[in-house]
Amino acid sequence: MNKQTFMSILRTQLKSMPEEDKKDILYDYEEHFAVGLSEGRDEEEIASSLGNPKQLAKQIKANYMITKVENEFTIGNFFQALFATIGLGFFNLVVVFGPFVAIAATLLSFVVVGIALVGSGLAVIIAMFFPQFLQNAPHPLIGIFTGLGLISFGALWTIGSLYLSKWFYLLAIKYLKLNLNIITNRRMKND
Amino acid sequence: MNIQFKKGVLELCVLSILDRKDCYGYELVNNISKSFSISEGTIYPLLSRLKKEGYVTTYLEESNEGPIRKYYELTDTGKNILSSLKEEWMTFTKGVNRLLEGREEYE
Repeated sequence: MNKQTFMSILRTQLKSMPEEDKKDILYDYEEHFAVGLSEGRDEEEIASSLGNPKQLAKQIKANYMITKVENEFTIGNFFQALFATIGLGFFNLVVVFGPFVAIAATLLSFVVVGIALVGSGLAVIIAMFFPQFLQNAPHPLIGIFTGLGLISFGALWTIGSLYLSKWFYLLAIKYLKLNLNIITNRRMKND
Repeated sequence: MNIQFKKGVLELCVLSILDRKDCYGYELVNNISKSFSISEGTIYPLLSRLKKEGYVTTYLEESNEGPIRKYYELTDTGKNILSSLKEEWMTFTKGVNRLLEGREEYE
């Protein structure tokens, strides 16, 4: 493979990345070729010691996605990062994907439960103002205190769940990054 | 050298070289290759990640021969990360060495 082929494969594979980042990384490889050539190496040899441009592009994209989700968390960014890392061909991610979804769903249900508790507390308090619709209405004060209790318990529960979710998220990002390191080194072995 | 040993170590090596002197990519590859073999291309995704994390910055400088070089320079954040990575590495290798020499059995 000569320089032109290598660079054009890399460029094509990176076309989904923002222009500036793409330019930056492509320049690195241009420079690498140029310095290598000036040391008397030939294009073919430099290209083969650089490795497979398709694999390099996958690494670059996974890196980019993970940094993106770290800087700005959205569900979309997170899944892009996750799939970019899976694209690197690391089976571990597939193995952990199931548990990951299960834990995420559990955390989500925790948050929903918390919000529901707050909602029911509010409903109890509101109900106290309309005793005519209630059978066996308790004393209004008991109702209001029960409502307040439910609201505060629900709020604490929600806050706790959100903290748990945050920890889980940070852990997930850490795990994605760990995979990057492993892939980087696996590639080294193959070349 | 076994591939598993290189896992994660490349980052430490790159930061450590940059701590001594600003380098361009090719120079970094050369320096590392003196110690162990790497696939040259993998250094650039790593460098771009380090840059995004704010551990390094870059600046361009002309050279006497060849193209303008992109130099990588360690930031203060990078220096802090380096010293904590270094410490982790030292503790880890010390532990492994002790195991390999079989000293822990008699303690």
